[in-house]
Amino acid sequence: MNGYVEAGYVVVLGTLGSYGGALLLRERAARRRAGGNGTGERAGNGPGVATQVHRSGPADEGLQLRHRSFEETGTGTEP
Amino acid sequence: MSTATMRRQTSATQSDGAGMALHLLGATALVGVAATVWLGLFVTPPDEFMGNLVRLLYIHPPMAWVAFLAYGAASLASLLYLWPRTRAEHFDRLAGASAEVGVVFTGLTLASGSIWGRPTWGAWWAWDPLLTTTALLFVLYLGYLALRRVPGEFHVRARRSAIAALIAFVDVPIVYFSVEWWRSLHQAPTVLNPTTHKTYVHGSMAWTLLLGFVSFTLVYIWLMAHRYRLAKLQDREETEGLEVALAERRAEAGARG
Repeated sequence: MNGYVEAGYVVVLGTLGSYGGALLLRERAARRRAGGNGTGERAGNGPGVATQVHRSGPADEGLQLRHRSFEETGTGTEP
Repeated sequence: MSTATMRRQTSATQSDGAGMALHLLGATALVGVAATVWLGLFVTPPDEFMGNLVRLLYIHPPMAWVAFLAYGAASLASLLYLWPRTRAEHFDRLAGASAEVGVVFTGLTLASGSIWGRPTWGAWWAWDPLLTTTALLFVLYLGYLALRRVPGEFHVRARRSAIAALIAFVDVPIVYFSVEWWRSLHQAPTVLNPTTHKTYVHGSMAWTLLLGFVSFTLVYIWLMAHRYRLAKLQDREETEGLEVALAERRAEAGARG
């Protein structure tokens, strides 16, 4: 076709894509720092309480979900 | 259920709805841009005089249009901020977000125009009235963005930024009419020529150009909305950081006393 035409499209689309992507990443990072959904509301335990995740024990242990039966844990209604 | 909890839930529902609408807008803009590129590069015919270079028509004028639109929106928001009855923080944020996106589109107007100018005029740049006033517009709004970063009390900063945005906007009609007012290397507008009131593009080329205008306008709205949300988060972060610092200072003073 023509090298100039391709260059024009690459510059325009590449710049807009990079700018849009950077905005999304910055927004996500800011939302994470705010500890909420970024709309004035906090995620977690209630207003003004940032969600904190504490992990203890070996690293791989925290990543595994252990299924427990009702015999082990109860139904949750017992005292 | 307490009133505060209900208000939080309503706000969360509204923000979910706004997020969904923004996703939908982004997807529509993406499809529109993809269709414009496909039509522009592979479907529309080459021009009788310019050949394949005419394919830059489908991206270059839309960039300029969106830049004008962004500055128009920034000026309107600045005006609403300066007007005492409508003064609100969100108008300042909106002006900043729109101007930043406008600067990106102005940069792309200059870049795509330069790429088009090289094979057409034999030069990457010429001190033509349209090009020069566009470059001035780019610099003016870069200055506006720099001014927004000058530290100061929120309303003082917002007020001076709003005045600067309105001053910078004076250059927009100068850019548009420069091809009519002065002898220019750049051609007169192809769509809605201000002198002849005619459109010099037809058929599939006209439809593709129209699609380009619509698609890139949607891209602008999507980018502006995300930039606005980011500014809101940054403002909140700044306010909360200040509150924490003040609380720490008070606690320190209390411990000493």
